[in-house]
Amino acid sequence: MSPQKTELVSDPLFQLNFLLWLTQPLPEGSSITPLFFQRNFSVYAISPALVVPLDLQVAAQQAQIKVQPSAKPDVVLTHDVERKFAFSECKASSFGPDSTTADQARSFLVTTSSRAAEVLGLDAAQVRECLLDYLVPESQRALLLQTLGELTSQLSQHGLPTGNFSILGLQATNVEIVLILDEAAAVFFSLSAGSHSVIKFQPDTDPRPLYFIPYDPDVTYASDAEKLFCKRMLFERIHGSVVVAAGRSTVPAEIVLTPNGLLNDAMFGMYALWESRESARHMRGSMQADHARSSASGEQ
Amino acid sequence: MPDVELKHLKNRHEMIRFFDGYTTERMEELYAEKLKRPLVKSQLLEVLDGKQARNSRTLQAIFEQHGAQLRALDESMFLVTDNSQGEIGFLEVLRPRIVALYSPLRSDVLCKWVRELVMGNPELDYVWLSGLTFGVLWELIAQLSRPNRFSRLVFTHDSIFEIDNPEPDSDDEEEPGGVSDGGDEDSKEIVERRATTFRLVDRVGVIQEKLLTLQQVYSPLYAISQMRFPSPVGRGGHDFYDNGRVTNRSESFRDHRSHLLFVVRIYEQLLQSTEQRAWYSIQESVRVPGQFRKIVGAPVTIRFREQLTQQVFDHWIKATFERKRNRFRLWGHPLRLGPTKVHVYGVDRHLWQPLFLELTAIGCTAIIPNGTCGNTVHRLVTNIQRFLDPGAVAFVGDKPYTQMVKESASTVHYEPTKD
Repeated sequence: MSPQKTELVSDPLFQLNFLLWLTQPLPEGSSITPLFFQRNFSVYAISPALVVPLDLQVAAQQAQIKVQPSAKPDVVLTHDVERKFAFSECKASSFGPDSTTADQARSFLVTTSSRAAEVLGLDAAQVRECLLDYLVPESQRALLLQTLGELTSQLSQHGLPTGNFSILGLQATNVEIVLILDEAAAVFFSLSAGSHSVIKFQPDTDPRPLYFIPYDPDVTYASDAEKLFCKRMLFERIHGSVVVAAGRSTVPAEIVLTPNGLLNDAMFGMYALWESRESARHMRGSMQADHARSSASGEQ
Repeated sequence: MPDVELKHLKNRHEMIRFFDGYTTERMEELYAEKLKRPLVKSQLLEVLDGKQARNSRTLQAIFEQHGAQLRALDESMFLVTDNSQGEIGFLEVLRPRIVALYSPLRSDVLCKWVRELVMGNPELDYVWLSGLTFGVLWELIAQLSRPNRFSRLVFTHDSIFEIDNPEPDSDDEEEPGGVSDGGDEDSKEIVERRATTFRLVDRVGVIQEKLLTLQQVYSPLYAISQMRFPSPVGRGGHDFYDNGRVTNRSESFRDHRSHLLFVVRIYEQLLQSTEQRAWYSIQESVRVPGQFRKIVGAPVTIRFREQLTQQVFDHWIKATFERKRNRFRLWGHPLRLGPTKVHVYGVDRHLWQPLFLELTAIGCTAIIPNGTCGNTVHRLVTNIQRFLDPGAVAFVGDKPYTQMVKESASTVHYEPTKD
């Protein structure tokens, strides 16, 4: 399996796992360069629900600006000592100022403003600096820059506070995945602006690292093949959980396996955090369908 | 079988005295080259959940699954008997997670018995001393022993994946029997693959002076599989094997036991620090309980000194995941991501715990979910050094594995001949 690299860098689940790997402690000379870990950034929260302060929601309504009451950035990164927070969002492509994704972006812009500490439930003194960063394919940079600029102006015109934003561009070559930082990101993360080689790989090889989060039903995958592959990863992990339970039992034994338990095992406990019940139902349904197919075909 | 009945030993004091006397007799016989009975061997085993080792009833249940009975001498010492073999030896809970089985049985009999016990029980595993761990232990020997004392090192590396061998020589973990002392060499098939097994016996000072240089010249010398701690109370010493077997070739059982305790304390500390550092999980952000979750843990990275060839890589993957009997005792379905890259969201087939692996020609990255025993990591490192790349180096997060062993050792004080 060797997907198009350009396809992979536009896949939000790859982007999310890529971001997580950037914060992992890895030795010098690894095929992945954990840029953010090297600058002492770590994961503060994965997919936290951040509520836009009510007064700002009211102000937005009065100005007839669409703002989602709460939004969940994919990852929040933090630098403990410097009290910095980055709200990171992964996107396959840019979006226009009139799209529903723009409503979410307005929420992010407002929550990363001077009100960020309140949004995070922290004292003002605990947050010195906040940044909204979008991780997108590099080809989407120009369009997204324009959109975010327009949204910021729109909010500012109506007196709504906004935070700084930056765009992290992803680009793939035949042997490496490159992260391209703009000036705002460079200053925030104490890195140089421009290209940073982050994943090195052999030609004809899929560059993806091991996935922490193997599957997300809410994500729009870059392709059907990519969705299938991610689903395969999830089911391999579920299969592993079943094997673990069976292997550790002393026969004869009755083993009780619940979809929720298996999905949580497979997702490092993230399944329990999904607020979308529809997604949760979808996942349980997928498991049952897979089980039915396996039974019908006599797979072990 | 020894003709002494162990069941007559009623308490720890009698047991220690017996083994001390037995040890002295064996050493006298050994020096006279007339060994009449087997030497005392100890087998160090990890009990998967430390609470189990502390609970004698659970410990008894684990051994009963194998048809063995434990009779308590005190809270942490048990006589071990077996329906087929009779008396096996004594089992002592040395540390919350580690037990030692002391036995005067012949080596081949004991090894077979222990192997069947461990293979049939996911609650038990060997104590895995990798070449990297032995490297650090050697530094301690060099520091603590007089330079004119003799030590003995055995190096074992066998590139079994250079050929596609459908049947391993034995089931799973091979007995670290050491160097062959003879046998019918004429009838052996000629197999052209890299295989290094030899022992080095010399003075500590000489080995210390030459070892690093030799290793840099010939990497299989990083794959130390046995090492002798010279006894500080007399001649001989204690031969530690990479699977936690220890042969007492000293004149004192008490000294033997104190060496076990020394290494076991280091090992237990290493297990704890590996798990504390490597375990991946989603945890609540302390500052905002119940609201935000973050991912914690650190990947385990093993980097090969020499890149594997395509052929070796393919044989390794095939032998490990397509055959029931395999050295690495792993289960999973490799997802092929390139000619020399696979991902496996798999299971440690011995301890039955999840393990996520990226395997490439230049190394291996492992993600260890919370709860997976640190022993999985140490077995992986040991097997990689033994069968793939003797000079491989390992890291937990960005910290070198050897640094973790050194730090673990620094917390333990070397106190020979004391309990």
